[in-house]
Amino acid sequence: MLSLNQNDNITSIKDAVLCEVARLAYEGTLDEKKENLPFEMIPGPKANFRCCIYKEREIIRQRIRMAEGKAPGAENDANIVQVISSACEECTLGHYQVTDNCRRCVSKKCQSVCRFDAITMEKDRAHINMDKCKECGKCYQACPYHAIVDLTRPCKRACPVDAISWDEASGIVKIDEKKCIQCGACTEACPFGAIGTRSFMVDVINLIRSGKKVVALPAPAGEGQFGKGITMGSLAKGIKELGFADVVEVALGGDLTAAFEADEWAEAYKAGEKKVTSCCPAFVNMVKKHFPTLMPNVSTTVSPMCAVSRMVKAKDPEAITVFIGPCVAKKDEILDLSLDGNADYVLTYNELQCMFEARNIVLTPEAENIQHGSIYGKKFAGSGGVTAAVLEAMKEKHGVADVNVMVCNGAAECKKALMLLKAGRLPADFVEGMACEGGCVSGPGCAKCEFDARKDRQALLAQADDREIWQNLNEHVDLDSFSMHRK
Amino acid sequence: MTVTICIGSSCHLKGSRDVVARLQSLISENGLDSQVQLSGSFCNGRCDQGVVVTIEGDDQIYSVLPETTEMFFQNEILPRLAG
Repeated sequence: MLSLNQNDNITSIKDAVLCEVARLAYEGTLDEKKENLPFEMIPGPKANFRCCIYKEREIIRQRIRMAEGKAPGAENDANIVQVISSACEECTLGHYQVTDNCRRCVSKKCQSVCRFDAITMEKDRAHINMDKCKECGKCYQACPYHAIVDLTRPCKRACPVDAISWDEASGIVKIDEKKCIQCGACTEACPFGAIGTRSFMVDVINLIRSGKKVVALPAPAGEGQFGKGITMGSLAKGIKELGFADVVEVALGGDLTAAFEADEWAEAYKAGEKKVTSCCPAFVNMVKKHFPTLMPNVSTTVSPMCAVSRMVKAKDPEAITVFIGPCVAKKDEILDLSLDGNADYVLTYNELQCMFEARNIVLTPEAENIQHGSIYGKKFAGSGGVTAAVLEAMKEKHGVADVNVMVCNGAAECKKALMLLKAGRLPADFVEGMACEGGCVSGPGCAKCEFDARKDRQALLAQADDREIWQNLNEHVDLDSFSMHRK
Repeated sequence: MTVTICIGSSCHLKGSRDVVARLQSLISENGLDSQVQLSGSFCNGRCDQGVVVTIEGDDQIYSVLPETTEMFFQNEILPRLAG
């Protein structure tokens, strides 16, 4: 069904745009038909979601631009995460507000906890003087009636690095490119879907249609993303129906990264150096942009995505590699062209799902499965998974794995660990940093949220064989054919 | 200095990956790794001028092909570093 109706929500609207753009791109009629798409999707005459159909159509037009990889508006900054200006509903700008629930009680807890003298008792209720308020939130916590509400914009609240502000005149959100780590937390947080990410989907479809050899590299978060019984084998069959020439599991890259990171950590430990992981691009961006003096502490081992891409290109230099995962920061990782051999393009599982829909491909459980990575590589996608894999690789090689690792689950914990490291007070020797809480499996590019995917994922991972990391690499990878380090 | 190369599908088919590889080796050969960063960009719709290359602080679009990469490096990148 092309036209949207009142039963649609922000997820189904976003998916519908991606699906229609994918359909037209496969037909080769995108340039010709994209202008008409907003009219087909929002036929009118009554508006369903916004003030009028003209605004609804403009939002669709901006979403189409992002699905094509363009910035939604006229400004062409390089950020992956972009604000759809027409969709930004200008949330209230005051952070804390006193509501009707205020009983004007005698304890005056809100007033007594306020260190900035910002609260006065008016005739009907307490009042917050915005000129004095520092937005500490003490009054909000103190009120026994929950009469004070926190109206911080959801995008701003979600941003772990304070990259979000807004235009004073219009109230429309701005993202500070210098601060943004591309984690995508704000894209999930906005209730109006006014923040999204640029897509490489049309580029990938164009290259498939041009007859190039395009190889898909599905990330280890894949199991569970497409429902019960959809193994990597079932997923690979669907991916090949989309026109990809081959499929290589990035879990194998997890094994590669774990094995080489284990060696790097062992050496660093001897030299008395502390290291942080390099596989989460949003975490690496956090170091690069907010703790630049710690860049020498980032492990030089490349990410699982880069490892597998290099492996594929070592065999066939003509291959075009496309990472498919739950991550939007990966789209940014590949823009660093100083890093040789990385994936050429990145798609999200959500975009992949929309491509399946556009091509009427229904995934079904297949008898034939593929397994390229060990269970340790597959579990890279969850918080603590990288650490477990590195320790396993150490154990396999040296018999012991006696290192102290701090597992940071989510951007807030990452930030804390980096502050400690910077101050020279980090108790651990190594840091595993994942910007998404729960790890990649909770990434903003998922087709299915972690909670919905969990049960199916556990059942699918239970089917994996018990091969060890080094055994897997020695049997299946020509380790001399490519480098596992940055330059 | 950041040099940005379009990695969209149209520029890819015109050889953007070769342009990047040649620039990478020219930068290394000249010992400029710490001075020149290569960055990719999404398609910005100027496909007729591909491979679209831009230099930080300059609005001009340079149409660079694998066979003209060295000339671009000599004429546009080196003089900027010397200046």
